[in-house]
Amino acid sequence: MSWLKQLFSRRRIYNDLSEEIRSHLDEKIEELVATGISRKEATAAARREFGNLNLVQEDSRQVWRWPSLENFLMDVRYGVRMVRKNPAFTAVAVLTLALGISVNATMFSLVSAFVLTRPPGREPDRVAVITSINPAPAFLADANPVSVPNYLAWREANDVFADMAAADEYRTASLAPQSLPSVASPSAAALQPEALPSAAVSPNYFAVLGVSPQLGRTFSDGENQSGRDHVVILSHELWERRFGSNASVIGSIIRVNRENDTVIGVMPARFRLLGFTPQLWTPLVLAAAEQTPAARMDRSLYLFARLKSGVTIEQAHAEFVTLARRSGENFPTTDKGWGAAVRTLPDFLLYNFSIGNAIAVLMTTVGFVLMIACANVAGLLLARAAGRRKELAIRVTLGAGRLRIVRQLLTEGLLIALLGGAMGLLLAYWGINFVRASLTFNDAISAVPLSLDWNVFFFALGVSLLCAVLCGLVPALHASRTDVNTNLKDQGRAASPSRSLSRLRTVMVTAEIAMALFLLVGTGLLFRGIFLIEHQQLGFQAAHLLTAGATLDSARYKDALEQTSFVRNLLSRLSQIPGAESVAIASDLPATGPAAVTLQIKGQPELPANQRLTALDVLVSDDYFRVAGIPLLRGRTFAPTDTATAPRVVVVNQEFVHRHFEDQEPLGKQIRLDVGVASPEWNEIVGVVGNVKTHSEGTADDPEVYEPFLQRPSPSFSLMLRANSDPNTLAPALREAVAHLDAELPLARVMSMPALIDRQRNGDPFFVRVLGSFAILALILASIGIYGLVAYSVGQRTHEIGIRMALGAKSPDVLRMILREGLKMTAIGSVIGLALALPLPKLFDAMFYGLQLSEPRLYFILPLAILVVAMLATYIPARRAMRIDPLAALRHE
Amino acid sequence: MKKNQQRDLFPGALEMMILRTLKRQPLHGYALVQHIKRSSNDLLLIEEGSLYPALQRLLKEDLLKAAWAVSSTNRRVRIYTLTPAGAKHLQQEVSRFEKMLEGITRVLAPGAS
Repeated sequence: MSWLKQLFSRRRIYNDLSEEIRSHLDEKIEELVATGISRKEATAAARREFGNLNLVQEDSRQVWRWPSLENFLMDVRYGVRMVRKNPAFTAVAVLTLALGISVNATMFSLVSAFVLTRPPGREPDRVAVITSINPAPAFLADANPVSVPNYLAWREANDVFADMAAADEYRTASLAPQSLPSVASPSAAALQPEALPSAAVSPNYFAVLGVSPQLGRTFSDGENQSGRDHVVILSHELWERRFGSNASVIGSIIRVNRENDTVIGVMPARFRLLGFTPQLWTPLVLAAAEQTPAARMDRSLYLFARLKSGVTIEQAHAEFVTLARRSGENFPTTDKGWGAAVRTLPDFLLYNFSIGNAIAVLMTTVGFVLMIACANVAGLLLARAAGRRKELAIRVTLGAGRLRIVRQLLTEGLLIALLGGAMGLLLAYWGINFVRASLTFNDAISAVPLSLDWNVFFFALGVSLLCAVLCGLVPALHASRTDVNTNLKDQGRAASPSRSLSRLRTVMVTAEIAMALFLLVGTGLLFRGIFLIEHQQLGFQAAHLLTAGATLDSARYKDALEQTSFVRNLLSRLSQIPGAESVAIASDLPATGPAAVTLQIKGQPELPANQRLTALDVLVSDDYFRVAGIPLLRGRTFAPTDTATAPRVVVVNQEFVHRHFEDQEPLGKQIRLDVGVASPEWNEIVGVVGNVKTHSEGTADDPEVYEPFLQRPSPSFSLMLRANSDPNTLAPALREAVAHLDAELPLARVMSMPALIDRQRNGDPFFVRVLGSFAILALILASIGIYGLVAYSVGQRTHEIGIRMALGAKSPDVLRMILREGLKMTAIGSVIGLALALPLPKLFDAMFYGLQLSEPRLYFILPLAILVVAMLATYIPARRAMRIDPLAALRHE
Repeated sequence: MKKNQQRDLFPGALEMMILRTLKRQPLHGYALVQHIKRSSNDLLLIEEGSLYPALQRLLKEDLLKAAWAVSSTNRRVRIYTLTPAGAKHLQQEVSRFEKMLEGITRVLAPGAS
């Protein structure tokens, strides 16, 4: 424990040392005096012979120390003193960094929640997800679900997986209103039928993922047989909300899809796959009949499989490429050209959720903001280092090594950065809460908990350290190149600050302007894209529409006849609601991205499978066009007489005529739609209507074909009700009307059309607004940078300006001189920023599906805006320069 | 200043001279440096102060011990004494130094080889 003893006896050692050295000098002086010289001379001689007293003491003490640690602590102590001595300087530097660090930490919470969070289950990296690759261009074409026949074939044929499960993740289940005897007080929600997102999964699904239920059990073999499949597993959230977290729910019977199902398990809250939000799981029942061509076209299964030990994901991928090719060869009509993709579970979830681009753009933006903040603080430190040249020169003379000085300045940078980091984390805490509160536009997003977790904490710490290096290194290296003689002699009378120093700061501020302009152009483009979409003509009248979704289950509505009779009754009941002007139903609401079908025009040659004409296909009731407000351009719309027994008719949109008929007369032409029935019939085109945007959040107009609902009823459809006032007030009446016809039929997403459109934007406006605020922040920081630099240089040049004015320069001359300095930086920075921003529209086009981004005016307006802001930031200090009184300036110092 | 010392002495030389001097008799710092200067006929340029960091290093490694006492000139001084470990260390260092010196001498000797 000698080091411990040393630590405590160190004060004594130091005292001994000082006394000893004093005594040494005294003895020497006495001796010299004895030789006859004066005491004053003797003292000087003794000192000279002894050498650098401070350095000797320092070196002697050093022996007893842990030098690096203690030097560091000393630097810190000194740094704290410097920081406290200049509160204004510290406040500006810390606040600047805090802003930069907080936006980075806040956005990194997205990375932490979406990218770094591991999926649940055992070894998620060993779980593969198999999807089909759609040969036609489509959104996420290579993450397309797989058909049942391919699942069954691939499961048997592959050699790379130990076990393979399938899941139909996007089903809807209806949960009937009921109160369980075991649950004391049913919540209000339990008294209405509910449509819940659900998943139908093979019995081994949970075992493949390696997750166990919180309560009860998961599915066992054989429960995927029809008749034995009346079992259901609840999500933690549903169990909490509908069943009061009551454990006795296991074994009880609940009404799901009009059947009595036994609850066999509850999954834990942490069992959550990014992007999938099922509230309950039912067994996936695959009948042998699903081996038909129609079944091959119905691709709805995601395949989850666990790799055999020793098999890599690449080997699995190679195997499935072969299997997919074989499927294509064996079933050319349905599978030709379709490939297969194999990804690890984490990769797949992230890719399928496709939030990566948005996160990448956000992180890049905040990265720029951080760089600008660092450049500002580095500039401040540089300016201060210049002011401290004399102090540093003195320290060098007294024996401080160069490295020591660099370390000292770096430590000061570190202190400021850490203070900034701490404050940044505090701001990030609020920032994250704000983002979490704003990210509620869909269930999958709001299911992901954003928080200030360890990842965010360490990221902020890392960023702070990076800032410390970025901000501290340049001034430190610069200051360490101190020339003792010049600096000690220099009484601050130099006409202007060191040239290289101001050049360095000029470069940094120019870079700041370039980065700020780059960000402004980028977000400006996105803003413009969002603005265009928000203000585009959708092609129908969204206001005053109330909508809801319904799915007629096969348990009660066994065939088309029962479905159409329900729809007829529903429409007549809905039209009697007071305040409802007109009602309609449709398989898809306008501008909600209906599915496309391939089609053939009578008289034209049949094209190969992957080159066939396509159109969006919507089934509508006869009043649909009037209710939606879609204009009829030619011919007629549907009539009540277009029933199942009448000749088959369709209505197409203008884009259809333009693209598939090259704007020739379409009326009377016959087309055939591949809608998954064995022998599709020819339909006559009887009308042309106006275009409706495919997606309300995009700008695309696609060919679209409308079929009469009565001629091909669909079990799943949406209601549309035009109100003469606020549509939301009709919601209770709508629910009541449906409940009157079928008390167990749940209505999904009862909301007004504008609310639905808002939801479909998926947070784009929020995303762009956040980006915009970052760009503004960047601009503010950059203009502070300009201001700081110009103000500083005016301060340094007071003397010079005084001389100029004494020699006859007028105030406007001085103003012009200073403004020119700011103007030059801004102009160069703007040119660089614009050049960097030129490829942005192309890049964004590739990244953001459907946004039309090109706006040449931005390239003119934004640099102008930057110029105005920069001139303002220059003008304030320049005006001060103009008012310099030559007499005072020359006397000054 | 520091550079001069490094040019004139190789590392460890000052320590060796201190140990050798103290082996003969315990001394305090001032006397020690005067003795070294005198015995080298002032050929070695030693800054008096440079003695003290060396003394601290030797103290820390327990090659020396120090005690306050009153000198013949009635001055409170710190007397340094060689410890057994110090004596052993000195022996090792001297023999190493002699080997080194021999090597250097052979290289420098004119006409050899």
